[in-house]
Amino acid sequence: MGAIGKARWFARLAGVTALALGLAACGGGTGADDADNSGGGDSAKEIKVVIAEYSKDHTATFWNAFKKTYEDKTGVKLNLQIISWNDIDQQASTMVQNGNPPDILNLNAYASYAKDGLLYSSDDVLTDSVKSDLIPAFVKSGTYQSKMYGFPDLSSARALFYNKDLFAQAKIASPPKTWDEFVADAKKVQALGGGKIGYAQPLGPEEAQAEYSIWMFNNGGDWKTDGKWTINSAKNVETLQFLKDLSTKDKVTQNNPGKTNRTDGAFPLFTSGKAGMIVGFGPLQGDLDTKYKNVKYGIAPMPTKDGSAPQTYGVTDYLMAFKKKGNQDAIKKFYELYYAKDQVNTWIKSEGFLPVTQSGLQEFSSEASLKVYLDTLPNIHLTPTDDPAWDKIKLAVQQNLGTAVSPSGNPQSVLDDLQKTAEAGG
Amino acid sequence: MLIFGVVIYPAIELVRASTGEYSITGLRRGSNGVENYANVLSHPALGTVLVNTLIWVVAVVAITILLSLGLAQFLSKDFWGRRAVRWAVLVPWAASLVITSRLFTLIFDYYHGILNVLLTKLHIISEPVDWLGDDTWTMPSMILVGVLVSIPFTAYVLLAGLNAIPGEVHEAARIDGAGPWQAWRRVTLPLLRPALLVSAVLNMIYVFNSFPIIWTLNDRNPGYTHDTTITFMYKLAFKSADRDVGMSAAAGVFNVLLILVAVVLYLRLVKWREEDA
Repeated sequence: MGAIGKARWFARLAGVTALALGLAACGGGTGADDADNSGGGDSAKEIKVVIAEYSKDHTATFWNAFKKTYEDKTGVKLNLQIISWNDIDQQASTMVQNGNPPDILNLNAYASYAKDGLLYSSDDVLTDSVKSDLIPAFVKSGTYQSKMYGFPDLSSARALFYNKDLFAQAKIASPPKTWDEFVADAKKVQALGGGKIGYAQPLGPEEAQAEYSIWMFNNGGDWKTDGKWTINSAKNVETLQFLKDLSTKDKVTQNNPGKTNRTDGAFPLFTSGKAGMIVGFGPLQGDLDTKYKNVKYGIAPMPTKDGSAPQTYGVTDYLMAFKKKGNQDAIKKFYELYYAKDQVNTWIKSEGFLPVTQSGLQEFSSEASLKVYLDTLPNIHLTPTDDPAWDKIKLAVQQNLGTAVSPSGNPQSVLDDLQKTAEAGG
Repeated sequence: MLIFGVVIYPAIELVRASTGEYSITGLRRGSNGVENYANVLSHPALGTVLVNTLIWVVAVVAITILLSLGLAQFLSKDFWGRRAVRWAVLVPWAASLVITSRLFTLIFDYYHGILNVLLTKLHIISEPVDWLGDDTWTMPSMILVGVLVSIPFTAYVLLAGLNAIPGEVHEAARIDGAGPWQAWRRVTLPLLRPALLVSAVLNMIYVFNSFPIIWTLNDRNPGYTHDTTITFMYKLAFKSADRDVGMSAAAGVFNVLLILVAVVLYLRLVKWREEDA
């Protein structure tokens, strides 16, 4: 062994092994067999609340103020933790795995937690007035096996954003109403040259399911029909083929849409004035109004395949509550305060999202810029978050959908695989 | 106590996790024996991931050591501003890997990245290249970053090795009539052997386990086309449809074994060549 003695080599190797084991074990941890026995005492003196970070500017501001109000009002300490969307899945999973879940968790999925029996239902922790104030579409999406476990914290709806200057230059009079018009308009914008892009299409892993859903719904398709998975239905295959053709045949998208994410790929193309159209939502609108004022934009309902009434795709996230001994009362008070008009609506306004309560709908109705979304909110189309299988399918869609729209991609076989995953229970 | 806390306990937990059945939420439902291991071995992406890992480790380590040899040689010379250059070389090492990787996603960006602008202006390429999206360029782009962040450490280990070689040896070689290349090959290189060995082994392990570069530069790409074992593990636990902590832990056990085998093989190879010579 040359200059280094054998014994020392073994010591070194052992050290290295330890290091590697330590690194690899980061994903490990103890089991959470006793998740609902932790806590203790008759009434919790503090609760741990894990919140997803919606924006650097506003999330912490609101929640710190909320924490103070809550503590002053109840005398219970609120242990606040704000985690970025990139890490929150992993952190939540690690907390549960270590038998130490938070008391309240903010996430875009709840059904698997409900299935594992970890959550309080609305009967346990929501007051009647809060329950009746929630918009029925969100009550439905938050209900697993006839009990509500996912309490909506805010919502968003998607619509078609278009660049008015580019439309004028391309001599397009009004936003497209059908898919044919959409392709024709996108071609006109693309033909302007100078790096202009007809449609910015994000089908990368970040949120492929959202981009696909909105097109799917506007072709009369759905993830589930009458309680059965219909991911590879003829309409859905047709939709995905249409999305693939946009880049491979019509050539009206940016480079490589299957590998473009929304926030760091597609949005910058629109806010820099390069893209003619994009599917956007409230926070993008907020950015355009404050940071990118030189982009003159309009918002229109999504075009549909055959020109029928446009469908709106919506998203809501949830604030679920974990069953732990003694924390029920503190949690009840948390929701009572959260769903108070001056709290929930302040929060939603500051983040640029849409309300989840009827009283919120009323309060927001005066805002003209939100009209296009608010009108559709009660009839909004959501993804099947009430099915625990969706939690896995969503991940499969995010990871695999992009491969279908590459030049060699095969929409039919990708959707067939997803259908198989879904039928196997996710 | 320390050894127990840092070494044995995590190892036990890793093995325990690898034999458990976990729900998607991270809840342990019980034990399922070796099923997690079987699931990892039968995973359709495993072949791709292993090949990627091999390419990634071998390319980064080999190129790093080659370039570092030259750099160390250069830094050992006495020249004006040597101190400044030595400091400058250290910077990429001191910077957080995540930040460096994030910076490179901006440099490599198809539309906004400066690399495409630069190469187009210099007429090296006529059309922008999708460095991180085009499958032929993704791995080379990641290797470039991997090499860049590995050079400082390696160059310094080799520099220390060079400095430890007494000047008389070179003098003797010169007197014996050896040319510069011959002196380097016959005298310097053999004396650098311990330093080369250390830097190769440490780099192998370090590069093998390097998560931030692959993760950050590859996160926009669907599927597993450019994943190595370490990002594969992470996706198994948190991003893929499997979303299974137990399976990820099993992959983690394989990962450790794989490193051990690679290092032992390398040391064997080195030893064998030494005896041969």
